[in-house]
Amino acid sequence: MTDYVLQTEDVAIHYGGVKAVDGVAMTLERGQIRGLIGPNGAGKSTVIDAITGRRRLTRGKVMLGGADVSALGVVERRSRGLSRSFQRTSVFGQMPVRKQVELASYKMGTPDSHADADEVLRELSLDHLGDTVANDLGYGEQRRLDLAIALVGHPTVLLLDEPMAGLSVKESLSLAQHLKALTARRKVSVLLVEHDMDVVFGISDVVTVFELGRVIAAGSPAEVRANPRVREAYLGSAA
Amino acid sequence: MFIHLFNGLVYGALLIIMCSGLALIYGLRRVVNFAHGSLYMLGAYIGYTVMLKTNFWVALAVAPAVMALFGVLLDRYGFRLLQNRDPLTVVLVTFGLLLVLEDFVVAVWGKTNLSVSTPAALAFSVDMFGHAVPAYRIAVIFVGAAVALGLTAWLRLSRAGLFVRSASTDPVTTAMQGVNTDRLSAFVVGLGCALAGLAGVVAAPFLSLSPSMSSDVIIDSFVVVVVGGLGSLAGAFIAAMVLGMVQALGTVWLPGSSVLLPFLLMIAVLIWKPAGFAGSRT
Amino acid sequence: MKTSHLSIATVAALAIGAAVAFGLSSGTLLSLLTQATHYAIFALGVGLLLRQNGMVSFGHALYFGSSGYIIAILLQLKAVPAEAAVGIAVLGLTAFAFVIGLVIVRVPGVAFGMLTLAIGQMAFLTASRSRGLTGGADGMNVDWPSTLFGVPTELLLKPAGMLILSWSVLVLVLLGLGVLLRGRFGSVTEATRDNEERARFIGIRTLLPRAAVYALSGGITSLAGVLAALNTGFISPEGLHWSLSGVALMMVVVGGTRVLWGPALGAAVYFLAKDVLGDHAQHWMAIFGTALIVVIVFAPEGLSGALCRLLRTPRRQPPAPAAGNPSARVAH
Repeated sequence: MTDYVLQTEDVAIHYGGVKAVDGVAMTLERGQIRGLIGPNGAGKSTVIDAITGRRRLTRGKVMLGGADVSALGVVERRSRGLSRSFQRTSVFGQMPVRKQVELASYKMGTPDSHADADEVLRELSLDHLGDTVANDLGYGEQRRLDLAIALVGHPTVLLLDEPMAGLSVKESLSLAQHLKALTARRKVSVLLVEHDMDVVFGISDVVTVFELGRVIAAGSPAEVRANPRVREAYLGSAA
Repeated sequence: MFIHLFNGLVYGALLIIMCSGLALIYGLRRVVNFAHGSLYMLGAYIGYTVMLKTNFWVALAVAPAVMALFGVLLDRYGFRLLQNRDPLTVVLVTFGLLLVLEDFVVAVWGKTNLSVSTPAALAFSVDMFGHAVPAYRIAVIFVGAAVALGLTAWLRLSRAGLFVRSASTDPVTTAMQGVNTDRLSAFVVGLGCALAGLAGVVAAPFLSLSPSMSSDVIIDSFVVVVVGGLGSLAGAFIAAMVLGMVQALGTVWLPGSSVLLPFLLMIAVLIWKPAGFAGSRT
Repeated sequence: MKTSHLSIATVAALAIGAAVAFGLSSGTLLSLLTQATHYAIFALGVGLLLRQNGMVSFGHALYFGSSGYIIAILLQLKAVPAEAAVGIAVLGLTAFAFVIGLVIVRVPGVAFGMLTLAIGQMAFLTASRSRGLTGGADGMNVDWPSTLFGVPTELLLKPAGMLILSWSVLVLVLLGLGVLLRGRFGSVTEATRDNEERARFIGIRTLLPRAAVYALSGGITSLAGVLAALNTGFISPEGLHWSLSGVALMMVVVGGTRVLWGPALGAAVYFLAKDVLGDHAQHWMAIFGTALIVVIVFAPEGLSGALCRLLRTPRRQPPAPAAGNPSARVAH
């Protein structure tokens, strides 16, 4: 029986008559990158919200490292090594870049938060902007900052919610490469929600496909690509 | 006991008239009008002056009308010009306005208490449950109820009401649909200020006029609006009645510290529900 | 500022204060400066809340007036020595602020401001109506003893003495805040102010730091109240009134909160203006209400913001337009 760093069992989130997520079972192994794809409104971001504790579960369990964390709040789950980035850029507007990244690292309990922050900033090409206040950054730079905050502190599980949103093709591919290298080096397991197919199939070890709050396929990128149901529902013949 | 509860109803009705104005202005312009209590006071004082020359009924029409005009100007030259700024900016402006109005009232009418007599048509008592209840106060309750029902009906049934509700929820889309949101705002803010003025005139016969009028009522109206949920008219109505009753019971059981009751009510509700009863229609 | 710079600056500031106090012979001028210093400390409290929490209090006079009242009542009852009364007032109010802070800082945006106004006015009403305890609208005397913390009170009450004491408190408060906010507490509260949700997602429990800032801001303001009560030997409900909160707020807005000493600058400007206005000061509420409106509309960063921009070297390239989240936390 593999030790999963993250596992969801029959997770469901219903609100206001909407079944945003309806019985999702997923696993994530150590060091793995799992891509999450599916049409808009399929429930991908909601699953991320459920795993991080931002939304309450209607049903099911979320387990981190084998322990049931379903009843724990956002702060507690963070202290167990869970981290996330945001689809709509969420940074600390009036703080300088380095200060906020280092704070995030410090709050994770990293012994040398400054070195940790510097390394992540370097890897994401933000080190020359260390003293710039977040509000003064460009869009792409702010998105990378959002990621940097999620990446520091050596999280065990990293949930990335459309990190490439709004970036150009070139920027996306470059960022994807950096993410792959950084997460491999730091042994972080990643759940990646993305619309950019090239990125997802490019860096993921395994892929899960969502539709209407349910998982309709899961497996290696090649398997998923070849799956007729996935093609029909989502990829179309262009995949 | 009955008299106290009755007075609680009267005060609750007054708060309904006042706070609906506050809630309307917030709902449409997203502005918390810190000067609202001062507008209430100004309405009362203007009513007083008008009553010196004519009578209560003329004042009842004139004072709210003057305040409505003031409201339209406030919206046009205040809220509209500042609508793209930080909400706090506008609030600070209304606070500055509060200070200016307070000074204005003292400058024009002085610091001593003034009183206004009950209109002759209502200067009698009605026998209720063995108590002599002033008819005027019964009328106040009716006015409060009329305001509550009238506003609710207007919002739900009229075209303008529909526009107000949609503009409160989504001003951009509403404007895109061709609704003149600026004119609508001016109307609503004018109405809100008129309501404050109306409350002032209505209150004048049974509360004496003094420069501290605004502070007496502002606490309670803020508590009502926060407890009812910022922007919710229905919440404000309920909270106004609750507060009126709490105050009434307070004067019976804890006469000395009844002034602290709104504070305690507010703290109690906020511990339980930080966004107020109805929550905000964000 | 580096620590070594900070120490030098503190010593220099204290020295300047002493020099001015002994150098000036005009009692009136010294008295004016002393009052300005008290207001500067008051405004610092309000400014701290705005700067670190992004929250505006319209009722901070609560802490200013209450400290005077607590001391006056305790001294009248001869319950504790004066030194203890001071301690009880300041620490007690700080604790009180923390407790209500735990409840009210959760209230979002402007609703918080409304609550502070309500609470402040309630204190005013309570003091005005409790003739037996507080002397009601007439106020009450503060019976300071002949020595305070080992120093003869009459020495402290001399214009020069009062100025040195008040100025020293101001400088030390600034020093204390500067040191405190440079550390983790500063970063944590700034992060919470900028983006409360993300702050939780990086592991910050956001309620306690914000309540702590509120408590600290109340404590600083209560310190100003103690000094004022010592200076005049008298306390009245006016010390709790919202117009006083409004004046403090105006100083914060005029001075700006970009730097820690901004509100103190605002206080200085206020007193300068008041001195210049002279007889017209009868309508000071209207004048300062108007000033508040003017500054907030046309110069939102205040004087300290403008000064800092003047002194800073211009950027080589204009900042790129930033997409993403709104900056200040102060939503509706």
